[in-house]
Amino acid sequence: MATRRPRAKRRSKADREFVSEAEEILDAMRAGVADLGDSLDESRGPDPELVNRLFRAAHSLKALAGMFRFDPIRDLGHRLEDILDGLRLDRVRLDASLCALLEESIATFASLLERVGDVQALGESEPAIADLSRRIAAAAAPPAVEADPLARLSVDASLLRALTEYEEHRLRESVRRGRHIALVDSTFEILSFEEGLSELTGAIREHGELISTLPAPGAAPESQINFSLLVASDLPANDLLAALDFPKASVRSVLAGEPAPRAQLAPAAEPDASAQEPADESQALEPPPGETPGELESLRSISDTVRVDIRKLDELMNLVGELVIARGVLGELTLRLQENAATARVGGELAKLHKALERKLRDLQSAVLDVRMVPLRQVFEKVARVIRRLRRELGRDVRLDLRGADTELDKLIVEALVDPLMHVVRNALDHAIESPEERRAAGKDPEGTLSIEALQRGNHVVIAVRDDGRGIDTRALRTHAEARGLVQAGQVLSERETLELIFEPGLSTRDEVTETSGRGVGMDVVRSNLAALGGVVDVESVPGRGTTITMTVPITLAIIQSLIVGVGERRFAIPLSSVLETLLLPRTAIQRSEGRELIDLRGEPLLLRHLAREFDLAAEPAGESLYVIVLGIGEQRVGLAVDRLFGQQDTVIKPIQGPLGALHGIAGGTDLGDQQPVLVLDASAIVDDATRRREAA
Amino acid sequence: MPRILIVEDSPTMRALLASALEELEGSVKITEAESGFEALRVLPRERWDLIVTDVNMPDINGLELVAFAKGNGSYRHVPLIIVSTEGSERDRAKGLELGADAYLVKPFEPGDLREIAAELLARSRARKT
Amino acid sequence: MAAANSREDWQALAREAARGVDEAPGEEMRQLLVFQVADASYALPVECVREIVRQRATTPIPRAPEDVCGVISLRGEILQVIDLRRRIGLAPCAPTRRARIVVVQAEESGVAGLLVDGVREVLRTGQSSLQLQGGGDGMVAGLVRRGDAFVSLIDLERVLDLHVDA
Repeated sequence: MATRRPRAKRRSKADREFVSEAEEILDAMRAGVADLGDSLDESRGPDPELVNRLFRAAHSLKALAGMFRFDPIRDLGHRLEDILDGLRLDRVRLDASLCALLEESIATFASLLERVGDVQALGESEPAIADLSRRIAAAAAPPAVEADPLARLSVDASLLRALTEYEEHRLRESVRRGRHIALVDSTFEILSFEEGLSELTGAIREHGELISTLPAPGAAPESQINFSLLVASDLPANDLLAALDFPKASVRSVLAGEPAPRAQLAPAAEPDASAQEPADESQALEPPPGETPGELESLRSISDTVRVDIRKLDELMNLVGELVIARGVLGELTLRLQENAATARVGGELAKLHKALERKLRDLQSAVLDVRMVPLRQVFEKVARVIRRLRRELGRDVRLDLRGADTELDKLIVEALVDPLMHVVRNALDHAIESPEERRAAGKDPEGTLSIEALQRGNHVVIAVRDDGRGIDTRALRTHAEARGLVQAGQVLSERETLELIFEPGLSTRDEVTETSGRGVGMDVVRSNLAALGGVVDVESVPGRGTTITMTVPITLAIIQSLIVGVGERRFAIPLSSVLETLLLPRTAIQRSEGRELIDLRGEPLLLRHLAREFDLAAEPAGESLYVIVLGIGEQRVGLAVDRLFGQQDTVIKPIQGPLGALHGIAGGTDLGDQQPVLVLDASAIVDDATRRREAA
Repeated sequence: MPRILIVEDSPTMRALLASALEELEGSVKITEAESGFEALRVLPRERWDLIVTDVNMPDINGLELVAFAKGNGSYRHVPLIIVSTEGSERDRAKGLELGADAYLVKPFEPGDLREIAAELLARSRARKT
Repeated sequence: MAAANSREDWQALAREAARGVDEAPGEEMRQLLVFQVADASYALPVECVREIVRQRATTPIPRAPEDVCGVISLRGEILQVIDLRRRIGLAPCAPTRRARIVVVQAEESGVAGLLVDGVREVLRTGQSSLQLQGGGDGMVAGLVRRGDAFVSLIDLERVLDLHVDA
């Protein structure tokens, strides 16, 4: 901008920088104040964004001047900031004289800027600044306080008496701001008042602020209740009545408001001044010298993604879980109503409604689940980094082949998968894939291949880690197992059973301990980590050709189908994912071999366990028949006898909190909606126990 | 058996109030309402001998509940204790002006509450006979 | 809705208690939740108490120690509940209407419920705890005077030091 510089000044470089930045800000403010003046002519309220921008500009100017120690300019900036803040928060009303004052302030700023570098001239301008500051302060001051604004209300004293201090404060505030105060009266049946009342208060909140809710006995005090609602609104009482559109309500004006300048712009909002006001400190910390209004505007840019704390998602998940439970109870009640002839009709109606609710709830459930889903990519990238590092350290030539990185899983499961996956990958690099020399000698590609492939299969995700290394030496494995007393010398084990030994604690396929795999952390940890997620791990290996470790985890931990079973008076839930089938057998179908019970499942012998005995429960006197749940975990199958079946239910499995920590054989607890928690069985532990006992036998 | 209605939105305070009142001499029947609205619904169901209410609640405040009870022929004679965190003299004065029989500031001594409750229950008994 | 705020309620309660009594300078004031087990008063620092709920249906845990009466469901959370009577070596008794479950949050052992016979008050005291010579049943960290009676301060970590018998 062109400025006259009547006095010769010796400005330092810093001074010049300051002036140039300050002038930019002033230019922007000048344009802003002109716009404010226009909005005055068009008799609409000032654009809040414009006022906000001006406020920020004044703030920047103040901060800038403070930084360069131009105190008169800083002080004036501070005053200006005050009044713009007042305008922003509706404490100060915009009128022509205020616009003139703003223009005068900007002109004064401009003349002050000209005097920068001239200490004497700046000093001379102080009285003028003081005068201007006084006038700004006067304009920014709130209007004189009335004796007691509540005295102007034509309302029964008993109503005012029932207001708490806060409600009184809100009422005063509304009167002060010239809003219309009205008393809305309506009578309701006492048995059902909440529904009607909430409809009415909801309508009120769309058009103003509900200050208090005073109940009073209705005309028929035994059955009716009246509510007197004190409302502050920008609408006069008559308009409010029309706007509420609530047939049973009457509206009486308690105090006519003054025409509010911004009534059309913000009819419903009750701006909470303190909430909108940014903390002063935080602003002082971000002095944006030279920040132009354009840049300020960019602060408003709206992003279409939101970062959410996973705990908030957990909360959401819990709520959905509780809804699912409540839905289940509703379904049962509906069924009961339908079964009773007297209530069949209403039961039928309810059943339709319940169906619709069920559908919506399922949508909600999957929408919430969807939010929690993240691709495996992050984990894969982490694995790739580790592999690159290990490749250098171990001198292995390994090609990494990653597939299915876009496969999505619940965030928590992805996080819990990192450690087991990393462990399996390290094992492969450390033990399985041979050195280039060894590979060459064996006639293999000197560069080994490690492939990780993820794919979704129903409600599970399967992650297979495949290497083309030396494979697991089952003979060495068996020797180790015998040395540790895990296997008896003469015991016959199938190839599969031998391979499964790698999941036993303390067994590793190689003698030496390396830095990579360490000692003591083995596949047993991988297995228990996965079991905690409701997942399983399997191994396949061909000597000389390679090993494949397959991890199968549920897509989500959240809501799963469970079979509810009964033993004696107790109920238990069994995740349906571990249930292959259920059988009803005559007791005579139980056969015995070496003291173990078994049944004939379509020609195959199936080991049978009794839930009552597993948990030392008092079972019911043996009836003629029994229910057998066929549990399948990986390749293993075990039959579990129970007294009763209660059917399937949606369950949200929760960890059991308390001093006992993890309970063997119990995966968690769930609430089926009747407040009595049900324990969820850990099918893999039960199968494990059973098969281990078989081996031990 | 005297019937006491406790109106309090905080579950913890409700538990403490109930525990304190359960130890009154002789047995009492205690009903807990977790909001002003619930209190309004419950009020007509019984012949109450004592109402104990909090002030700050989300739906209607305790003062409004007092105004309602004391302005209603059916409940006017039911003794009423306000228990509130409000140290405010104004609210206390308003509560008593509206007809509350006692005003107790939290944290209260359970013994104090019992003493006041016992006295009000005795008064209520005397009026009935 | 209100129930979800119980932790805040406790803090509010603590603040209220702090306001209620004139601070004696130099003394460190503590707030204790006093509850009843059999015919004696026991207490826990209010900081450990998350909320107090009425006794509710409990599901026994198979193979758990006798002191653990089972699990309850609290707004979907599944919590183990310890019968404080049994834990301090007394015979269990039929639940009364005063019985409550005090949900505690211990530093080491996490969240658990303690079944007590009744909740009495929040006691604010500047006293340091006194030791009973010869010791008690091992679950008490010390004694605090309350009028002319003693209140036993529960040693929460010890109460919660429970294991499933192998």
